Amino acid sequence: LKGQITLKDLLTKINNTATQKFGAQYAEARAQKLYKTALTLKEERVEAAKQGIENGVAIRVLVNGAWGFASVGSLDSVILEGAVSDACRMAKLASARLKTPIKLAAVKVVEDRVLSKPKKNPADIQMEEKIKTALGVNKASLGFDKRIKSCSVDYFDLTGSSFFVSSEGSSIEQDKLYVWARITASAQNEGIFTFSKEEIGSTKGYELFDEQTSEALGEKVAKRAIEQLNAKSPRGGKFPVVLGPSVVGVFVHEAFGHLAEADLALSGGVLANNFGKKIGSNLVTFYDDGTIEGAFGTFKYDDEGVPSHKTLLIKDGVVSGLMHNRETAQKFNAEPTGNARAEDFRVEPIIRMRCTYMAPRDQTFEELIEDVKSGYYFKSFRGGQANLDGTFQVGIQEGYEIENGEIGAPVRNASISGNTLETLHQVSGVGKDFLLDPGRCGKGQTAFISDGGPHIRISKVVVGGSA
Amino acid sequence: VAVLEKNTMISLAENAVKAALNMGAVEAEAYVYEGQASNIGIELGQISKTNRIIDRGLGIRVVANKAIGFAYTNIVEAAEAVEKPVASALSAARVSKPDPDWNGLPQKKPYANTAKTFDKKIVALSSEDLVQIAATMLDAAGQVDKRVFPIEGGVGSGYISTAIANSNGITGFDKGTVIECSVATLAKENNTVTPVCFEFNAARNYDLDPAWVGKQAAKMAVSALKTKPVETKSGKVILTQFALQELLAYTLINAIRADSVQRDQSPFKGKLGEKVASENLTIYDDGLFVGGLRTGAFDGEGVPHQKTAVIEKGVLRNFLYDNYSAKKDGKESTGNASRAGYLSTPGIDTTNFHIMPGNKSSGEMLSEVDDGLIVYYLQGAHSSNPVSGEFSVVATPAWKIKNGEITHCSRGVMLAGNIFELVKNISVVGDNERQMGQLISPWLQVENVRVIGQ
Repeated sequence: LKGQITLKDLLTKINNTATQKFGAQYAEARAQKLYKTALTLKEERVEAAKQGIENGVAIRVLVNGAWGFASVGSLDSVILEGAVSDACRMAKLASARLKTPIKLAAVKVVEDRVLSKPKKNPADIQMEEKIKTALGVNKASLGFDKRIKSCSVDYFDLTGSSFFVSSEGSSIEQDKLYVWARITASAQNEGIFTFSKEEIGSTKGYELFDEQTSEALGEKVAKRAIEQLNAKSPRGGKFPVVLGPSVVGVFVHEAFGHLAEADLALSGGVLANNFGKKIGSNLVTFYDDGTIEGAFGTFKYDDEGVPSHKTLLIKDGVVSGLMHNRETAQKFNAEPTGNARAEDFRVEPIIRMRCTYMAPRDQTFEELIEDVKSGYYFKSFRGGQANLDGTFQVGIQEGYEIENGEIGAPVRNASISGNTLETLHQVSGVGKDFLLDPGRCGKGQTAFISDGGPHIRISKVVVGGSA
Repeated sequence: VAVLEKNTMISLAENAVKAALNMGAVEAEAYVYEGQASNIGIELGQISKTNRIIDRGLGIRVVANKAIGFAYTNIVEAAEAVEKPVASALSAARVSKPDPDWNGLPQKKPYANTAKTFDKKIVALSSEDLVQIAATMLDAAGQVDKRVFPIEGGVGSGYISTAIANSNGITGFDKGTVIECSVATLAKENNTVTPVCFEFNAARNYDLDPAWVGKQAAKMAVSALKTKPVETKSGKVILTQFALQELLAYTLINAIRADSVQRDQSPFKGKLGEKVASENLTIYDDGLFVGGLRTGAFDGEGVPHQKTAVIEKGVLRNFLYDNYSAKKDGKESTGNASRAGYLSTPGIDTTNFHIMPGNKSSGEMLSEVDDGLIVYYLQGAHSSNPVSGEFSVVATPAWKIKNGEITHCSRGVMLAGNIFELVKNISVVGDNERQMGQLISPWLQVENVRVIGQ
């Protein structure tokens, strides 16, 4: 086995080849040694207990202002020399047509070793124990009501470490630790089908399952599926809505977060022309924060070796900041924010969110709903998606009517949509509570993120319903 | 790095199976995967990045006492490297819970020949060739209109090979190529930004038209600049392949998977032989479709690919099976076990989901709509209810059709409904078949779709 010193030396040597032999302006090498455990349970059947090893190296070079990237699942120096040669040669070719060569914002050289300190390291928990926990969730859900027809539990944990060495002299070794589970349940009664899901995740450790018991998790998912059996389709049209923290999180992530990723802002996203401008009500303050201890979207250094910040995106309705990598920070003359993330050694780092949320204010839930004559309370989401023109969509898995300031009958399969620049002005109430949910975001690659906020009220938004 | 040869791939798989049996597994199956890809990337209107990715690995599934263990590794160079995942899979199986329904790995069956899945011209393409394709696409997009900005895209060529072996004597090897080019554009005028418009080519053989891709993506963006609202009502909607691919993947396709049916998650349960859709709708799952993006000799368990009737003239004919779900129903696998390379155990998925074409041209379809919408891109389809088939999505954007002509674009239009009602209301099927991921389909016109305007 290669120790840390040898691996650092190996990566340094690769970077030297890029800069000295092939004329790269900049080179970075990332290596990972990761261990994964995964389980899928369906109706108390263990579909497979899985364990995997993934070792590999990613090399990224900047040659004549163009990026070259190569990835190999190997720590062999001969193979790596071949990969760095490929990366430099291809970058040089691509650079021939560049109009605007890529430059990088300066950053401090970092040398660090980041240790994870779990109370319960998932790597030390026996497979039997993990199966027992997942079975507990499965049983609790299926036993909740006989109309629950199916329940899946997907579990995974990831441990190991990642290495980052740059030609500028940075050298970082970080422990990686993720624990995650998704529970889905379906219910059926008299030809009506319903579906419910819940995700939990943490970078702390396996103690996640001490905070939320198997029984509570299983019942929560089952209860939602059962309640929806009596729900009706919402009316389509514009309505006032009150959103729960989990829906607010996805709303912030989709309706604003993606637009505040500097690469998408540069691509022509609607925030490009709105920096420093007021695009929302005074109640709207959003952050993207990579420093919340134990949160699913938290890490100390990003995959360009930049420390993860707490980044203010919008303050009292005014656009205040963007999420950057070193390339976009240079273009905006801003500080890199530590948002450059790569899913694994197979892909290059791109700008991703971390923990994105709305800051709480001072209202109670009762105050938020009391003025709503006819609208909806959307408590839990199923998914969401954004577009650069500011169109967002959030699908709802748990919702209720609000009639004359009171929560009424459940509705199912609603969604909300609108344009960010119009909708943020419609935020007319923000609660004092706060919750952060784990999630996974797709942008070509998957990133582990968190999002959340308090309860909020939006005075007018389009609700998609089939009634 | 040279690709792994057929013999090397097969012996890696066979040796892993042997090792597992020697170490006490009752049954074993090994899947070896190699992928090599080169990509030229477009970002912010210029070719500015490249990548070269080599990914190979081995996944091993073992059975001990009717319990399943799985392990994978991406270190396959040394023979002893294989022993570790085999031991790991076995230890996982030994502590796992036995499955009384487990009824063995699949048996050996002959493979059919596949056509047009490998093209040595793709393997021989140089990075210079790929840069040239990207430049052609980018230039074509730029020449359409000054208001168009190509935000991202690229050109990629890939070689993929798989080998499989199991303790019932299955051994298989297959290799294929793919090439694709794509570009996402938007158009800007004053303070208006259009939604992202996208076009692409993807093929197993070297058959690309990058200039068409660039031009088409740019034209779409320009036509999305001027918008007017549409009213809230139920009406005719033409769904193009982009919209169908999104919508069907999260709704209808779940309902025809045998595991969904067995787990009471499909409204199609008990409806084989019944009329479930418009008689205009015929769908085959065809793992042998000539040049299909998901065509191959065998599935993720080494079962031969085949052509399976799913819906014929509106009548539900078959569900899609892997080995496990088939044995549970006393049937044969339809060759629909799918895997994410070496990283996962098999699960049921479509191969090429082929909606059979009709006889109306796209021009005729448009000209015969007095009042309706045509929808290319959808947003939020993944938030559909995967069991009930209810959806509530945004068309980004939709184009209004009036008296047989496209009149204007409209933003923020929502479509809401239920896929099982929608398939009953398919009134016209186009002849303009196109392949998009797992879907091969023409345009479909649907009546009475709930449209929520602004």
